Amino acid sequence: MADKTRKGGFARYWPRFLLIIPFLLVVWVPFYNRVEPTLADIPFFYWYQLAAILIGAAVAIIVYRLEMRIEGANSEDPTDADSSGTPGDIL
Amino acid sequence: MNFNPVAASVFVALFLLVTGLGFAAARWRKADLNKLDEWGLGGRRFGTVVTWFLLGGDLYTAYTFIAVPALVYGAGAVGFFAVPYTVMIFPILYLIFPKFWAIAKERGHITAADYVRDRFDSRLLALAVAVTGIVATMPYIALQLVGMEVVIGALGFPSGDIIGHLPLIIAFVILAAFTYTSGLRAPALIAVVKDILIFVTIFAAIVIIPVKLGGYGAIFAAVPPEKLTLKPPSGDTLGSYSAYATLALGSALALFLYPHAMTGIMSASSGKVIRRNAAALSAYSFVLGLIALLGYMAIAAGVENNPAYEAGFVQYGATFAVPALFLDSFQSWFVGVAFAAIAIGALVPAAIMSIACANLFTRNLYKEYMQPDCTDADEARVAKIVSLVVKVGAVVFVLAIPKAYAIQLQLLGGIWIIQLLPPIILGLFTRSFNARALLLGWVAGMAIGTYMAASQGFISSIYPFEIFGLSIPGYAALYSVVVNFLVAAALSPVFNRPSERGRASSAQ
Repeated sequence: MADKTRKGGFARYWPRFLLIIPFLLVVWVPFYNRVEPTLADIPFFYWYQLAAILIGAAVAIIVYRLEMRIEGANSEDPTDADSSGTPGDIL
Repeated sequence: MNFNPVAASVFVALFLLVTGLGFAAARWRKADLNKLDEWGLGGRRFGTVVTWFLLGGDLYTAYTFIAVPALVYGAGAVGFFAVPYTVMIFPILYLIFPKFWAIAKERGHITAADYVRDRFDSRLLALAVAVTGIVATMPYIALQLVGMEVVIGALGFPSGDIIGHLPLIIAFVILAAFTYTSGLRAPALIAVVKDILIFVTIFAAIVIIPVKLGGYGAIFAAVPPEKLTLKPPSGDTLGSYSAYATLALGSALALFLYPHAMTGIMSASSGKVIRRNAAALSAYSFVLGLIALLGYMAIAAGVENNPAYEAGFVQYGATFAVPALFLDSFQSWFVGVAFAAIAIGALVPAAIMSIACANLFTRNLYKEYMQPDCTDADEARVAKIVSLVVKVGAVVFVLAIPKAYAIQLQLLGGIWIIQLLPPIILGLFTRSFNARALLLGWVAGMAIGTYMAASQGFISSIYPFEIFGLSIPGYAALYSVVVNFLVAAALSPVFNRPSERGRASSAQ
């Protein structure tokens, strides 16, 4: 367990820092508490926060992809920490 | 409310379809359902897609679909806090829960309390986790019934007396029966149908209703301007801004500590499945944002001034806004589809919640304190019976106790469940916390959180925290869990004996 942490560390988990982005988008309320600019007649307050959902999803996808690439590069360590080793990841 | 035979027939037909699915689910991925991790966790074999449906059905509940637009309808912009809340849940899910899943899988944990028992070797802390989970979840199940009751009433079934409650009671008897036979497989399978219905309904709603009302511009123009945005704070208070942000953050931190969310996570087949879902679940969040806007559409459609819906608003208040909007906008058969989506949307989380409570009771109360040498089959049998008891309790709760209590208790439930954050989450990443310190932190958090809610008369969870003459209104759950954390952090070094400290440093 301890060994694993050392081998991973920043080199393996740096993409996770990107996950701060969704928090930053919505944490400062005065920034988006306004009507203008509207988008397709929808006030800023609403379309901005809906857009934040999409950005949050995009960030999660990017982080996942980056981590997969890093884990793939570390292929001398095939025992993925969070895989059960059983098939059926999709369904 | 007039009885609507077409809508009611479609509704009943869809309900029968999912009933059949619920029972058939026992044969899906066939396994020995007399084992608790098969009955109560679906054998931990759900992949990305099934987990997506299951967690989606689990977290975005019927109550959400009714209550969020009702809040937007009644209070305006503040109701939209559900959106930043769902934005914040993805990073939390991604960062924390694959690790939790891996440990639970390796050590055979079925509940969060199993994990705490194992991790901290403390029966008392595990008991606190189990009891908090059960107590916080019970009113949540009851609220699912409230969501269902509104749509059953809106279909025009007679309501009020005991005969009026029959549709609800029948629905819950069915739910109880298929949960008993099929366990977690039933809500997982039904969630697929439920989500198809929800997505169809919402996309129809956001296309058809704005066209009828003259576009989104007309909808937002109909909303009183003071409701469109949060009231900017003035003077020595952070007012609505801190309330909005802390409500979102506190709710996001609390969400995955609920036993039903834990159950959904632990039933995944790998940590990768959970990480993928951290992105994929945003589809539901987006739909939830659109659903919130239904509140404004209800204002623009003027349903409250329509005499046809007067009785509904008198009986159900703002929660009637969305059903009234659908009745006003859709053809009868599609009203049936939409209402079935909401009602089935109540069955899925209610089933998962009762299974989660049953798992907690069986593993952490029954096996731990009453029958330590029980067999696997005993465990499964007890859990099945407890899942029935939990549902009977929820029905009695809703029928016998004023609805306001269920809502207040659910509000308290959020404040209580977040107190599990230090024992469950911190233990995943550090060994420096001590079980007794965490238990005292839990006591402090529970006490202060409850006090904060009580000081607001249990009608608001926003507590005006005063510091240096500045008032920072914020979500009581967030404030109280900070106290919980500080107590646990301050007392851990005191309780950690030298021998334990030695073990802790070698494990880092």
